[in-house]
Amino acid sequence: MSMGLILIIVVAVLLFLVVAAFNQMVALRNRVQNGWAEIDVQLKRRHDLIPNLVETVRGYMQHERSVLEAVTQARSSAIAAGNNVLQRSAAESALTAALSGLFARVENYPQLRAVESTQLLQEQLTSTENRIAFARQFYNDEVMKYNTAQTTFPRNLFAGLLGFSPATMFTAADADRANVQVKI
Amino acid sequence: MATLKSVNLSPAGQRYLPPDRESFLDAQRRNRHATWRLSAVCVMAAVVMGIPLTLVITPLLYGVALIAADIVNYFWKLPAFVWEFAGEIARFGSVALNWMFPPHQHADPQALALGAAVMLLPGILLSITLWMAVHMLFRRSGVGGALLALDAREPNQSELKELQLADVVQEMAIAAGLPAPRVMLVDAPGANAAAIGTSPEDARIIVSRRLLDDLNRDELEGVLAHLIASVGNGDLSIAFRMTAVFETCGLLLAVVNSPFGPQSRRVLWRILRYSLWSPSGEAGAQEAAAVADMLSRNVGSNADDIDGFFNPPTKSRVRSILNFIFFPILFTNLAIKMSLWFFSGVLLGPSLALLWHTRQYLADASAVQLTRNPDGLASALQKLKDEPGDIPGGGWASHLFIVDPKPSGGGRAPDMRQKQMLARAWAASEPQTEATATPAVPINFPAMQGQLSETMRAAFAGDAQAMDRLRSLYQNVAAVDPAFAAEFPNPDDLIAARRGDVAAAMRLRANRSKRSSQPAGQSQAAEGGSSSPSAMSIVGFHSSLQRRLKRLARMGAHPDLEAPDRKGSIVVFVIYAIFAPFGLLIAAGILLVIAIMTLMSLTFLLVWLAFIHKAFTLLGHG
Repeated sequence: MSMGLILIIVVAVLLFLVVAAFNQMVALRNRVQNGWAEIDVQLKRRHDLIPNLVETVRGYMQHERSVLEAVTQARSSAIAAGNNVLQRSAAESALTAALSGLFARVENYPQLRAVESTQLLQEQLTSTENRIAFARQFYNDEVMKYNTAQTTFPRNLFAGLLGFSPATMFTAADADRANVQVKI
Repeated sequence: MATLKSVNLSPAGQRYLPPDRESFLDAQRRNRHATWRLSAVCVMAAVVMGIPLTLVITPLLYGVALIAADIVNYFWKLPAFVWEFAGEIARFGSVALNWMFPPHQHADPQALALGAAVMLLPGILLSITLWMAVHMLFRRSGVGGALLALDAREPNQSELKELQLADVVQEMAIAAGLPAPRVMLVDAPGANAAAIGTSPEDARIIVSRRLLDDLNRDELEGVLAHLIASVGNGDLSIAFRMTAVFETCGLLLAVVNSPFGPQSRRVLWRILRYSLWSPSGEAGAQEAAAVADMLSRNVGSNADDIDGFFNPPTKSRVRSILNFIFFPILFTNLAIKMSLWFFSGVLLGPSLALLWHTRQYLADASAVQLTRNPDGLASALQKLKDEPGDIPGGGWASHLFIVDPKPSGGGRAPDMRQKQMLARAWAASEPQTEATATPAVPINFPAMQGQLSETMRAAFAGDAQAMDRLRSLYQNVAAVDPAFAAEFPNPDDLIAARRGDVAAAMRLRANRSKRSSQPAGQSQAAEGGSSSPSAMSIVGFHSSLQRRLKRLARMGAHPDLEAPDRKGSIVVFVIYAIFAPFGLLIAAGILLVIAIMTLMSLTFLLVWLAFIHKAFTLLGHG
């Protein structure tokens, strides 16, 4: 009788722990998905801002056609990259590099920098770059927490059975690592 | 990484090298634990503070209940068990009292426990109920009133710096994974920023325009990361509960004072009116701010009520009889006031302040996590350290600002002559009375400040009459002392600036910068004294910037810290060592006085109640 009672209590406690762990991992997974959606939003915002920027600077930067074209090109390939994390991060990193090149050139055109609308636009793009970086930072932090939660004992015993799998980090591609120093 | 950030490092020679590094995650964990420990200390402090309070309040409650029962009994006979019950309560209460006060009597533990429950429970329940009521009441009203008091405006997105501010707020909210709070600008003379609100959902970020002008993008990022991290860590609800503690103290005092003072009755009436028929929208928010302000100011100084009752301007026989009858209440009142003042200043206030320090360190560590750039916040703090941080209208919530917004050096209160002149001008500006009828009015400066700030709120809300009054006050002051009047913002400009008149805002800003350059502050006059929690604690609610910078340095920042001054700290230690015994003596003395007051209040109250009860019994049988 008392053995049966103890067994029931132990099973109930174990079940409770598993349920708590499951709920926690679902919450973490939702945060990861939310982080990914935020990156998506900010990338979209950047894609929308780029045509505006290119239009504004085109008049002043007649001789920099190749830079502008690189930016436009990188933008369309980033839009075409789809939803795969690895492909997407490579394409977006290329776009970041192209934009950095453009900003470096803008430094050489004082009359362009003096225009107020350019300043505002540049601030918006700077902010977008930062937002992407921060959204990525948030996403990666959440992925780390999510993956740690799955792979540590005792959750690693049943995480796979319950349908959880490790998420992929949004990594910096080679183009991004080429230490571009830009001062705005 | 091409995150387009520039990090400015100070020259290598001046760097303060911390002995031990700490990751921001470790720092966060450490400060979270410290918060837990200190909340336990705060609860203990509240309990210790509550014991003398409840010892005084509980008999009052019983007394009111007894008199009510007597009155009811006079008309309709109450059943016998009511009186038996009252007798039991009195018996157990007296057991506890005899045990506690000299000469101590022994009591068996069970009776003692019952007696303690009888003596303490009603007061404890009343305090907790009041605290929860205050908390809920002001939670409902949100932050609108505070924003009106601060005179905040939306950032202008077509101006580079203000667009940058809006952008940085968005960036930091993304980094924290939170919904972006709304951001408002204040055209104040000081450089400061705060997160205000009751919960992460209705949080607002308040930034002064001067902060934008003085900080670069990285530093701004650090400051906003601190504020948003603080919102994300749930500091707003902690701060809200802290202020509710002080407001509850004010409410208790108002209740105890209410038989004697019109001022306390007015406060109570306004709270009642607000809680029953609170107007919606902006008017409701204003009312909430005004009521909260009155309550928290109540703790500081309204001895006027009870003094006015016992020292009336006109003496009469009825009055002196009443004085004799209500005499014990004077002790009750004093006991409550002294224990509130002493315990909240020395015990509860400092522990809440230390708790708040850990929240600030936590927010700093979280800010480092968000920006991954400890130098941004460190150099921002270093810049803010050397600048005035005062925000007019922000005194009520100074603990929410990133650096202490108290007027630094430049501010000074109006002197006696100016106070008198202001009060006279204020009385003269009253619409219905003539200036000739007012010279005999006693100068009640705090009351006038309260009226003035209320009139200003009404004027901001578009009340034409209040506006006229402000205008006439300004003209009256200008007629007597133009130099003093020049220290005030012109009321017409204030209102116009709020409606979006850019020229008026520019004039105001010029006036403010002129005022802050010449050391003559009067901002207190418009602000109405100090009513923030920080005014009620001997320990400041802001931890020292030096200490915060050191902690940031351990997380990898490079602030220019002065080397620790050995000699100075020894001198400070010696001074403390000399004065500590005196401080302890004074504290012991105050405790003794509180105990005597409590005892007196209890004794007189019991005698008084017995007398009234006897009178009723005689009347009832006769």
